[in-house]
Amino acid sequence: MKSIRALIAKEFLDLRRNRAALVPVAMITVLSLALPFAVTIGIPVATGFPLGDDPGLQRLSAVVGRDELSPNGRIELFLFQQFLMLFLLTPITGAMSLAAHAVIGEKQTHTLEPLLATPVTTLELLVAKVFGALLPTLAISMAGLVLYFAGIAALGDPGVFNAMLSARSATLIFIVGPAAALVALQGALVISSRVNDARTAQQFAVLLIMPLAVGIIGQFVGRMWLSVSLLAFVGLGLFGIWILLTLVSVALFDRESILTRWR
Amino acid sequence: MITASHLIRRFGPRMAVNDLTLQIAKSEIVALLGPNGAGKTTTLRMMAGLIAPSSGTVSIDGIELTRATGSALRGRIGFLSESPGLWDRLTVRENLSAYADLYALANAERAVDQLLDAFELRDRAETRAAELSKGMRQKVALARALVHNPPVLLLDEPTSGLDPEITRTVRQLLADRRAAGCAILVSTHNLDEAERIADRVAVLQERLIAVGPPSALRQRLTTGRVLVRVVGDPSKLLKVARRFDPDAAVDGPTLAIRPGDAGEKTPALVSALVTAGAEILEVRQEMPALEDVYLHLINQPDR
Repeated sequence: MKSIRALIAKEFLDLRRNRAALVPVAMITVLSLALPFAVTIGIPVATGFPLGDDPGLQRLSAVVGRDELSPNGRIELFLFQQFLMLFLLTPITGAMSLAAHAVIGEKQTHTLEPLLATPVTTLELLVAKVFGALLPTLAISMAGLVLYFAGIAALGDPGVFNAMLSARSATLIFIVGPAAALVALQGALVISSRVNDARTAQQFAVLLIMPLAVGIIGQFVGRMWLSVSLLAFVGLGLFGIWILLTLVSVALFDRESILTRWR
Repeated sequence: MITASHLIRRFGPRMAVNDLTLQIAKSEIVALLGPNGAGKTTTLRMMAGLIAPSSGTVSIDGIELTRATGSALRGRIGFLSESPGLWDRLTVRENLSAYADLYALANAERAVDQLLDAFELRDRAETRAAELSKGMRQKVALARALVHNPPVLLLDEPTSGLDPEITRTVRQLLADRRAAGCAILVSTHNLDEAERIADRVAVLQERLIAVGPPSALRQRLTTGRVLVRVVGDPSKLLKVARRFDPDAAVDGPTLAIRPGDAGEKTPALVSALVTAGAEILEVRQEMPALEDVYLHLINQPDR
C-alpha cells in the first residue's frame, strides 16, 4: 500500500506541474455542465416552447414516475437524469490520454527502468497508475457535479432538485461512474503496456469510449432506462470487470519486453 | 554479497550472456568491462532482477532471486540504469523523496537530506530535474540509487559523460560505499576508471573472458623487461647490461633489459650498473597498460 501511495503522490506532483494535461478533462466537464442546462432550460426559454408541451417527451419521461411533478418538471427530471450519466462518464475521455500514456510515457522518458528496479510490484505499479489518472479526474468531475446540482436547484422546476437527490443518482455517482472510469482507464493501461508508441496507445484507448457512448445514446433515445437495482448491478459488474482487467494487465505486463525491445 | 551463477541469457536466437559466473563480496568493487553489445547491461539487469536469465541463478546473501523473492531482494539493491531516468517535472528533492517513499523508509526526509549533502546537491534541491545539466542528472540518479542505503550496488556506466570534477566525486562516493561494506558492480568503458576504483576487473564479451585484480591482469601480458633510467648516455652501460641480457637495448635515456627472472636478478643487475658508474634515476618492471590487456583479451581468436 505504501508503494501505491508513494506512486500516486508522485503522479499528483507531476500533474500539478503539468496542469495542461487536465485541461481536456476540465473542458469536457464544463461542456457536460453547459449542455444539460442549454437543452433543458435555455432552448425552451429561447424558443418559448416549454418542454411539457411536447407529447413525445411526455411519453419518454413517464419512466421516471414522480407523478407529484408537473409534466414540465417530469421531463426536466428525465433529461437531468440522462445528462447525469453523460456528466459522469465524459470526463473519463479526458483521463484516457493520461492512462494511455502511463507506461509508454515512463518508458520513453527512461524513468521506467529505475522504477522497476525498486521493490514495487507490477500490480502496485498498475493500480497506482490507474488511480493517479482517476482521482484528479474524479475530483474535477465531483466539483462539476456540485455545480450541476446547484444549477438544477437554481434553474429547475420546483421539486426537480429534490427528485434528483435519489438512490438512482447516488448509484450513478458513487458506483456506476467510478466503476466505468476504472474499467476504461485500466483498459487504457493494458494498451499502454502492450504498445511501444504513445500515439498508438492513445488511438487504441479512444476505442474504449465506444461502449460508453453506446450506453449514453441508448439512454437518450429512450431505448433503455436502467432502474436503481439494475444500475447497481451494472456498477458492481463493472467493478468485477475492473478487477479482472487488473489481473489481466498484470499478466500482460511484460517487463522484459518493455525494457529490452521497446525503443 | 551478490553471486551470479552460470547465467545465460538469450534474446531469440541471439546469445547475449553465456555462462557467466561472478561473485562480488562485501566491500568490493568489481568493474565490468566489455565492448558495446558484450552483455554488460543485460548482466546488470539480470542481477537487479529486472529480467530473468534463460538459465542460471542470481543470489544475494544466499537468497536466490526469483519471482517470489524478487520484490524483497530488489529492496537490497541500488540500481543505476544507463540513462538517469529522472522525473523531469519533479525537483531533485521530490525525485529522491519519491524513491525514499517507494522503499518505505522510516525517516525518508532525513535520508534525502543526507544524500543532498553527500552529493553536494543541497543548493539544487528545489531545481526541477529538467533544468539540470547531464552531470547533475547523473549525480541525482546515483543519489537515488543510494537512497535506501543498499548493501548491493549495480551501476551502469556511472561516470559516463561527467566532467572530471564530478567524476572524482562519484569515484570518492563509490570508495566510501565500499568502505561501508557495499558490494559494487560497475559497468564501464573507461579502463582508467576501472583501474582506479575496482578491486577486480571482469572482462565480458558474451562470456566472461577474464576476472582478477587489474594488476594481476596486467601481469598476464608482462614482457619481463626491466627499464633502468640513468643520468647521461645509457649506451655506455650496454656492455654491463648485456651480461644479463644479450639483447639489452637503449631507448632514449633508458636501458631495456630482460634479465630472465626479473624479481630475482634485478638487484644484481642494479648493483652491476652502479659498480660500472651508473647514476640510476629509476628502475621499474615494464607493465602493459590495462587497455593493452583488455584489447588483447577481447581480440583473442580462440576465445
